[in-house]
Amino acid sequence: MIDALSAPGPAIGLTMAGYSTIAREAGFNFWMSLATSLGIWGLPGQVVLVSLYATGASLFIIFVAVSLANLRMLLMVISAADMMDLASHKLPLWKRVFWMHFLSITSWTNLGIAQQKYPSHLLLAYYQGFTLTIFFFGILGTILGYFLGDLLEPEFLRIVIFITPIYILLNIINARHKANRLAVVLGSILCPILFPLAGEWAILLAGLVGGAIASLYSRYDARLHSG
Amino acid sequence: MESFSSSFAWWALLVAIAGTMVWRFAGVFLASRIPPDSALMMWINNMAYAMVSGVVMLALVHPTGVLETTILEHRIFGLVVGLAVVVFTKRLMFSLFFGVASFAVAVTFF
Repeated sequence: MIDALSAPGPAIGLTMAGYSTIAREAGFNFWMSLATSLGIWGLPGQVVLVSLYATGASLFIIFVAVSLANLRMLLMVISAADMMDLASHKLPLWKRVFWMHFLSITSWTNLGIAQQKYPSHLLLAYYQGFTLTIFFFGILGTILGYFLGDLLEPEFLRIVIFITPIYILLNIINARHKANRLAVVLGSILCPILFPLAGEWAILLAGLVGGAIASLYSRYDARLHSG
Repeated sequence: MESFSSSFAWWALLVAIAGTMVWRFAGVFLASRIPPDSALMMWINNMAYAMVSGVVMLALVHPTGVLETTILEHRIFGLVVGLAVVVFTKRLMFSLFFGVASFAVAVTFF
């Protein structure tokens, strides 16, 4: 919990405040903005939701895009369960689902660091304290951020909004595997280029093409190293 | 008009929550069943990274809302400073501060 209180907590609070201002601009009311943070708790998916909502995309597109943006949850949950040796705690399914609802990029990365400091049977308790603290800050940020627009001049507001995308990009460019980082670079270049031609489908195209090239690269790289 | 758009927003929200929860649930369900090093997993993971970064870059290059009042060069400048600091120091919060601060200086004074 102390770890969470230092830097990541307030940063998540600010980031979620940034999200909340975007949500408000997109036309979400306060309860919708709060429900998004509570129910999704994954910033990229939340940003996709409000941005697509603002552009008037269909429910199907929103579902596909948010699902794809949050697909990483699948891998993060599997990897986190593995790090904490979740199976050894013999929790019922609903409790495992409950705790994994709070998993975020920040708590997942921090779990990787904590893994080197604490024995694995203590990691679940560490994760619970850390992730709930982060969640608390995130929800607080969502609530305060929604009304920040009334208090702040647009000159400040645009700086607060700038925090969110930069935070995510700086976070994912540090991905552990080289192929993941390549995917990040390809995705960030392809998507804005394809957008004027393909609209919101640019996201899917960038994901498919960037993901495929990065995967081919890592196969080639693995073969190179195995001899 | 207002009630239609607001009920559509709730539907969009519900669909988005479902689209997220399905992965968390599947993750819990599959946690003990899937070898994390398989080629399929690697591909899905790479695709997720590419897509997330694409979406976020979209918000920077083709923004909606208040960010539209800033110019692309300033936004890219803030991003490049942040990236340079994170690549050299590996410190996320530190580089976040520098990236956002450079953007703030750029939009305020230039």
